[in-house]
Amino acid sequence: MSTLTYKKFDEGEGVLPDKMTIYQDCISAFNASPVNAKKCRILLAKLVRLLSIGETFPANEATNLFFSISKLFQHKSVELRQIVYLAIKKLCHISNDVLMVTSSIMKDIQNGDIIYKPNAIRTLARVLDSSTVHATERLFKNCIVDKNPNVSSAALVSSYHLSPESKDVVKRWANETQEAVYAQKYFPDTQFQNVHQEFYSRFPSSTQFSQYHALGLLYVLRNHDKMALVKMVNQLSGSSSPLTNPLAIIQVIRYISKLIEEDPSLADHLYPYLLTWTTNKSEMVCLESAKIILNYKKFSPEQHTEAISVLRDLLNAPRVVTIFAAVRMLNKIAMTNPEKVVVCNYELESLINHSNRSIATYAITTLLKTGSADTVDRLIKTISTFMNDISDEFKVVVIDAIRNLTLKFPEKYKPMLVFLSDVLRDEGGFKFKNTVVESLFDMIHYIPESRDSALENLCEFIEDCEYPELTVRILHLLGDEGPKTKNPTLYIRHIYNRIALENSIVRASAVVALSKFALTEDLSLKKSIEVLLQRSLTDSDDEVRDRAAVSLKLLSSSTDKTSSVILVDFIKPTKKYSLPILEQKLTQYISSSDKASYENPFDISSVPQYTEEEWKAQEYKAKTTVQASEEEPLSDHKGRSGLAGGATETHNETQQAELLQQQYIDEISQITELSEYGPILHSSSVVELTERETEFVVSVVKHIFKEHLVLQFNIENTLTDSELMMVSVISEGEVYQEEFILPVEKLAPRSKGTLYVSFARPEDEETGAPGLFSDTLSNTLSFTSREVDPTTLLPFDEEDEGYQDEYQIEELEVTIGDFIVPSFTADFDKTFAELPSENEEVAVFNLSSSSELQEAVNSVINVLSMSALGNTETVGFSANNHKLKVYGKSINGERIAGLINFVISKNGIVAKATVRSDNKALSETVVNGIA
Amino acid sequence: MSNLSLYTITAALILDSEGKRIYANYYTPIHPNASNDQTFQIQTPFPTLKTQETFEAGLFSKTFKSKSSIVLYEDQIVVYKVISDVAVYIVGSLKENEAMLYQVLSGLCEALEIVLKDAVDKKSIQENYDFVALAIDETIDDGIILETDGNAIASRVSKRPSSENTLNIELNERGLFNAFQFAKKKVKGFNF
Repeated sequence: MSTLTYKKFDEGEGVLPDKMTIYQDCISAFNASPVNAKKCRILLAKLVRLLSIGETFPANEATNLFFSISKLFQHKSVELRQIVYLAIKKLCHISNDVLMVTSSIMKDIQNGDIIYKPNAIRTLARVLDSSTVHATERLFKNCIVDKNPNVSSAALVSSYHLSPESKDVVKRWANETQEAVYAQKYFPDTQFQNVHQEFYSRFPSSTQFSQYHALGLLYVLRNHDKMALVKMVNQLSGSSSPLTNPLAIIQVIRYISKLIEEDPSLADHLYPYLLTWTTNKSEMVCLESAKIILNYKKFSPEQHTEAISVLRDLLNAPRVVTIFAAVRMLNKIAMTNPEKVVVCNYELESLINHSNRSIATYAITTLLKTGSADTVDRLIKTISTFMNDISDEFKVVVIDAIRNLTLKFPEKYKPMLVFLSDVLRDEGGFKFKNTVVESLFDMIHYIPESRDSALENLCEFIEDCEYPELTVRILHLLGDEGPKTKNPTLYIRHIYNRIALENSIVRASAVVALSKFALTEDLSLKKSIEVLLQRSLTDSDDEVRDRAAVSLKLLSSSTDKTSSVILVDFIKPTKKYSLPILEQKLTQYISSSDKASYENPFDISSVPQYTEEEWKAQEYKAKTTVQASEEEPLSDHKGRSGLAGGATETHNETQQAELLQQQYIDEISQITELSEYGPILHSSSVVELTERETEFVVSVVKHIFKEHLVLQFNIENTLTDSELMMVSVISEGEVYQEEFILPVEKLAPRSKGTLYVSFARPEDEETGAPGLFSDTLSNTLSFTSREVDPTTLLPFDEEDEGYQDEYQIEELEVTIGDFIVPSFTADFDKTFAELPSENEEVAVFNLSSSSELQEAVNSVINVLSMSALGNTETVGFSANNHKLKVYGKSINGERIAGLINFVISKNGIVAKATVRSDNKALSETVVNGIA
Repeated sequence: MSNLSLYTITAALILDSEGKRIYANYYTPIHPNASNDQTFQIQTPFPTLKTQETFEAGLFSKTFKSKSSIVLYEDQIVVYKVISDVAVYIVGSLKENEAMLYQVLSGLCEALEIVLKDAVDKKSIQENYDFVALAIDETIDDGIILETDGNAIASRVSKRPSSENTLNIELNERGLFNAFQFAKKKVKGFNF
């Protein structure tokens, strides 16, 4: 290898010789006398190239090189010197003793040629450290105010690089920096009179980049002073702004955004500046200011509209990048506020066929989000026309968007179903087919009307499906949903065809799916299924035979009522295990280092189960909130972009919540006093009872048991020099009576602890069972505190018994929501009608605490802890009324459906709640809980 | 939140028609950990050569044959330009201003055209690596944009030293003399 490359060395400069050859050549050439400047420059270029493609040198070799290079400072050639600086910059990271070139560099900065002077200044930042910076103060100050923009910029950028290391020193040239922000610097006449003369397209007199660099540095030196920043922004904005460099303006725009973020009251004052810049001649400035306006909710809808119309104009810009930026921003807004983007629909539609695939994808997904029920048909027609011309990854994005649209407009399922079944017939890879199938699954789950025709499409699909994974999933679904349809026999034929034609994996799942059909009440159906299953007993694959045999055995034993219940549960379980928790538990089990833990088999009952409705509620929530949480749809390189990525994210969130709940259960089951309470029926989210910055940070979680309420207080001692002993919380309410407290024995400085307070749930007079009562609990933290040595954490005085102290923390509300579990129903209106109308309770409230409709809606959902259905959790754009549908189940299993109308009136937001449930008293409690 | 620091560029790359590196520079602040200031807490998404090469390979396959100029890839905004048999890339974070990154790219490409005498291709870049490396260094300094005007960038790139033999002897003596003078100054400075 090395002889080969060595031979090539002289053949041409295109081929790079190996590392050692370059190393040797450099050392000898740089130490030669006399030095050949041209040869050295070419060698240095090779060295830079070597380092640029990822090669590196061990420290001793790098240091040798560095030392040899430093000898080239004796050579006068400016052309050589410039690349010497580049090489030094590259070697600084890997060489030792870089400080040795400091004096040579400083000499060059003082007296050097203008060509390499800026390079020298920029290299200086790499060799200095905090102990040597102070010696360069005068040098930097002079360079910053130099009228040559190259010198000034170099000095400002170097100072910027140095500022985290030695801020105090750099601060000393804040005045010079300030001056540089306002200064107009022009290139010297000689700037363009050099080498490449005939190739210049023009000779700019100035680009004012030093303004940008000075502004960046000034911000770092001053960013903790809000008033100074406000003043600076005022001076640099508006029509008299001295700034001409677009990047400098972008910098100011970003400072404005920071100011608004920290102090929303400045928004009105600063908005005019942003607005002027939206019409700047530089597109990047327009984009940046529009982005900032749209990023903040504090700007009014009218102001947002103005920013959107700026983006709308930019959609017609000639530059692809600008269109990309604009449509990306619009897409992001459409995720949360699609109605704001509707005005751009015309422009967006013209982008659907854009040659940049990302732009086209953004345009389509945005359109799908902004689409109203009326435009869905047309949109889907447009999309169908070009589905064949686009790549699979792109199709996946489109299908995902359609799927969301389906959940949003369930009444429009028909055209979408047609669309999906059409594309299912198209050619496509697994990922694409999988997405289509998933979308159909969602339809079946959440839009009951679509079930029969969607199932038919899936049946047709598995007749000729090349992916066994998909066939298996579809068969499973057919088994679940098929028996519920009017004409189950239709599906049996399709399933049985699989048994006749497919491989063993598919056959096995087809057998299970078939057996589910036997559970219907139709006896003749059961009989024919048994006949079909009989045939599988002679299958060539043992798994298929086993499954058929088990099913047959179970079916023949289900003559009486009780055994048939067991049977149904066996073939078609009504409850599903929480998979993330199951996974976590199993990992814990097998990764246990203690052998004794294997003596007991894995306890499946420790994994919570969900009924189908609870399961659907969770899934539905995850699926419909995807859009809001999704950050970047097109970034993933697998093309499985956007919606899928967002989905996993939200899934993770719900999983997080689930795992947290599991953690509570584990912790509580460890405690003997609480372990007898039975299962936790509901746990609230974490409620903060103190500010986060206080001495003791307290948060609480409410757990409801069958007969008890347990408060779990998480306490953090943030003090460094006190430990707390016998920490307890005294909670007093009117309804709930404290039973006992499990205090924290000792809480060391900077540590966390958990204590529990148990209450009895009082009985409801009517039913005799524990009732669902709201209450307000006042809480006081009580403890004995003792001073300790912050380093050793040992008390100064062992005898010190400390002193008793109390600490008031905020009150805790026990609300009706603590007794309700969110649930899902496919057809809210139907469920609502089904619930007895005599159990209806109506009440009107004045929600004075919220000023915005969305805020009010969120708070009601939160208080009730029910799931919002039918996309009713988002309030329309600038709407002045809203209808919210919520559904849940009480911990006793009673269904609760609420219909809440919000209206903005003169006196704030008024809500009219209509609640029905399985129990009149419950309806009343829920209605009262809203206020 | 927007990026308030001047560190805006994650990387500058030039890849050949097979996706191999001709030039690659992933930028990190010079003194990154010295301060608690949030402005400087920038983490490079591609810390090792391996992650960088994976990124480049994937990016290349996604971009080289397409006619576009911008793509989001691996949580980065990438603007690029394919010129004959090479592709020039500028990489920035997702929060960056796309148009600004593009300005950097087009400035750099224009500068390359000038310093390479309108012949931007793999061979020419390799043979004139000093010009190319200097041009990039005059465009971006460890992640900070220095200049976006192609002519201004090119005007900062010096030509190669010429007519060296005649100058050399003279220079060498001068160099020695200078070194001597310099040493003398130093000695004075230390008050021997």
